[in-house]
Amino acid sequence: MPIRIFITLLAFCSIALTAAAQAASKLPETVKVNPSALTAEPMCDPIISPAWREAQEIDGVKIDASPVCSPDNPAWIAAAVKGTNNISMDTLMKTGLSPDAIIKTDDLDGDGDPDRIVIKLEIMELNGKSPDFPGIVPTFDIAPGVQPGAWVFAPKTSGMSTENFESVRANPLLRLPSPVIRVEVGDIVQIVLENTHYLPHSIHLHGVDHPFMHHEHGGQDGVPQTSEMELMPGERRIYQFQARQPGTMFYHCHVQTHTHLAMGLAGMIIVEENRPNNWLQTLNIGAGHVRHPSVAVKEQYDQEYDLHYHAMDKELGEIIQKYNDPRLIARDMNRRYDITDATEDYYTLNGLSFPYTLRESLIIVEPDQKIKLRMLNSGGELIAIHTHGHHATITHYDGVEHNPVAQIMRDVFDMAPAQRLDLKLETVNDGKHSYGEGDWLIHDHREKGITTNGMAEGGSMSSIVYKSYLTENGMPKVSHFGIDLNKYFTKEYYERRLPEWQDLDEWSSLGSPGERSGLDDATETSLIYTAAGLLIGLLIYWIFSIRERIAQSSSSLVSRFKSPKGSKQ
Amino acid sequence: MIKTTTILMAGIFVFSTYAAAQTQAKPDEHKHHDHQKQQTQADQHDHAHHDHSGHSMSQDTGHAVDHSKMDHSEHEHDHAVDHSTHTTQSTEHGDMHHHHHMDHGDHIMDHEGTMIMGQNLDKLPSSCKSISEEVEITVRAGRKYSRNFPGTAFAFDQQQWRVKPCAKVTFHFMNEDNIRHQFMMHGLPKYLYKYGMFHLEVTGPKTVSGTIIVPGGDDTFLVHCDISHHMEKGMKAQLVVGNGGTDIPSIPGLTPYNRIDTYEAENLPKLSDKEEQSKMVRQITQFTSNNFQTYGMMLIGILLGLLCIPLIKKIPFPKKKVEQPTPPPSRY
Repeated sequence: MPIRIFITLLAFCSIALTAAAQAASKLPETVKVNPSALTAEPMCDPIISPAWREAQEIDGVKIDASPVCSPDNPAWIAAAVKGTNNISMDTLMKTGLSPDAIIKTDDLDGDGDPDRIVIKLEIMELNGKSPDFPGIVPTFDIAPGVQPGAWVFAPKTSGMSTENFESVRANPLLRLPSPVIRVEVGDIVQIVLENTHYLPHSIHLHGVDHPFMHHEHGGQDGVPQTSEMELMPGERRIYQFQARQPGTMFYHCHVQTHTHLAMGLAGMIIVEENRPNNWLQTLNIGAGHVRHPSVAVKEQYDQEYDLHYHAMDKELGEIIQKYNDPRLIARDMNRRYDITDATEDYYTLNGLSFPYTLRESLIIVEPDQKIKLRMLNSGGELIAIHTHGHHATITHYDGVEHNPVAQIMRDVFDMAPAQRLDLKLETVNDGKHSYGEGDWLIHDHREKGITTNGMAEGGSMSSIVYKSYLTENGMPKVSHFGIDLNKYFTKEYYERRLPEWQDLDEWSSLGSPGERSGLDDATETSLIYTAAGLLIGLLIYWIFSIRERIAQSSSSLVSRFKSPKGSKQ
Repeated sequence: MIKTTTILMAGIFVFSTYAAAQTQAKPDEHKHHDHQKQQTQADQHDHAHHDHSGHSMSQDTGHAVDHSKMDHSEHEHDHAVDHSTHTTQSTEHGDMHHHHHMDHGDHIMDHEGTMIMGQNLDKLPSSCKSISEEVEITVRAGRKYSRNFPGTAFAFDQQQWRVKPCAKVTFHFMNEDNIRHQFMMHGLPKYLYKYGMFHLEVTGPKTVSGTIIVPGGDDTFLVHCDISHHMEKGMKAQLVVGNGGTDIPSIPGLTPYNRIDTYEAENLPKLSDKEEQSKMVRQITQFTSNNFQTYGMMLIGILLGLLCIPLIKKIPFPKKKVEQPTPPPSRY
């Protein structure tokens, strides 16, 4: 009986071992992600009307064409140029702006443009915690599915903070970055900060010629340690200035600056040279292409772009997604968050990361153009912007013109935090200014700058695209190379769940391997040893059980040996 | 007897406090819904009413497009937007120089963004035969009203208002802050109110007024300010019609939060820390007086010891006595 069990076991073990050996000779199959399993987004935001791309005139305001996928709402531009007080009610209703958001009056110098400018800014939270449901509100994606908690200066809006009551998506006016402000030298400008946020804030006008103190409005430098108290929730403060010098400047909140700036309370402010009939686009919401450039810019350039580079820390933004109580948010922001231990995770250009930068921050050019690029780095580290295929000339540092004869051309532009550079990009195909037409990348050459929370391709990457390389819907033409950008427009890609290279060949040689069928090595080895042990044990038991027979037979054997001996004796 | 009762009472008290805390921390499953859901419920409720009397509804829609009603609302608008309380106008140049007035019947807006949307002065809900009462409610809004609710930043002066079904209610919305606030009501019947909404909006300090006629059924309507995180940070209330419907969650001081933050005590400096510190300093610097104190304490100890001598004496040591007589019996 036991011998039969023993033999069965032995046979079973040998079969199992051969099967295991066979499995070890074959590696697991590639598991390919089915594209229909992804939450694919359309490349162009369907909310935005393609009619917005065209050159048009609204309320007498000429608006340049902007052939990108998601151009600015032309009504915004009309309202920004004329002021919300001077446009038709119909246009105003298309903007979502409050009727007192931008007030332009009084041609003081008689040169045909308004010189008293009132800009009302509110402070809005994006992607913050709700006490009612386990989500965040109002949502703003910097890339598919990427929703860092943020605060922004927003033009004063009218109505809801979300698109509508059914949606948690933010009203399009509430977005990163804080809007670009444009005023003229000599304008009497009032920036009215209405603190609609639940924490104290301020505005510091970095680089803009402003008085330290105003006789009526008090301190004007925005610094709670030098010029004024923090502006509490529900309060309003007026910052008034009359700039004497032009330039690309910077405004930001100066309360707990180490967190508030990175949270998004930072924007570009540009003082333009004074010219007659210079109706400026007072706000460039979302930055990017300036569709109604100033007279001075048009004198020298064919196009103008505002490029606001920013960086955010994931852990900082998560504080407002973890707590709803403002006291806990203040505690974690002010006392527990340690910026010296922090790292930046999100790199944005005009508030968005790749691939959304393709929607609205492409620099669309034609051969032999002169393009003015105004750049700001509001991140916490030095950045190095590289223009593929082009060398551009640095004309201004921090808003001040560089000596024209000493101006230099580069293809990497390093910018310290808070630094501004004005570039002259010339699309002259001479091998120096430009190498010819194409879809040329423009990106931060610190390699983390092209990642979103460490996942490439992301970050502040965008392109300088020649019109011959632009599709009808405003995306770079890349399909003739076999490139498919669709995979970037899925949240699974940034969740790190889509193997980047699975579609490079038919059989997905670099796709994701599946699980190994059968047992893993360690379990297999231990099982073999267990089985061997079992066999040995059984063998010992068997031997033990038949010991008497062994003894008998051995004794008989012995006696058999002995007896002939004995017989001999 | 008295002792037992006291203990019993204390026990009950402790338990009830615990229970109360529990209800605050863990809201009832039935109340665990977002307001959106509730709104749809409310809508369905009112649509049901409307289906029963389709005829009166079509009459109402007729009114809504009837432009002869415009004069009425325009008149109301003049009364509604109170310019006199706006004190900061003088400091902001420009505001005086332009005039924007929009009037689309159910959407009135002035040049400062003061807004009345979804006002209803005369269209009777299908569930009502007549107006039951005319009520005027003053709603104050501002940061200062959040003072009573720790952990909030903005609030209305009241968190709940009660009206009878079919009441005609005029809200005087007084924004006492220097920013924009809203009085936005949701879930009203959509055949009378666009998107089921009634909405007052004004930049303070200023007042705006608007009127609605509430439906005939018992119901509770969400009132909030929809500026980013104003509702989340406290500016939330409810209008209870008749006996009301389901409570709206997370209204400060009124209904439990669906999701509560985690709180923990911080190691903050206390006055007692300072006393302890100065005591230590005293120990080091005022050696003599400190010694005096020590000796005093020692004296008290000695006195206590002396007092205790009789007591110690009384303590019997029977074990020792028992142990003593049991030496090993001598074999010798």
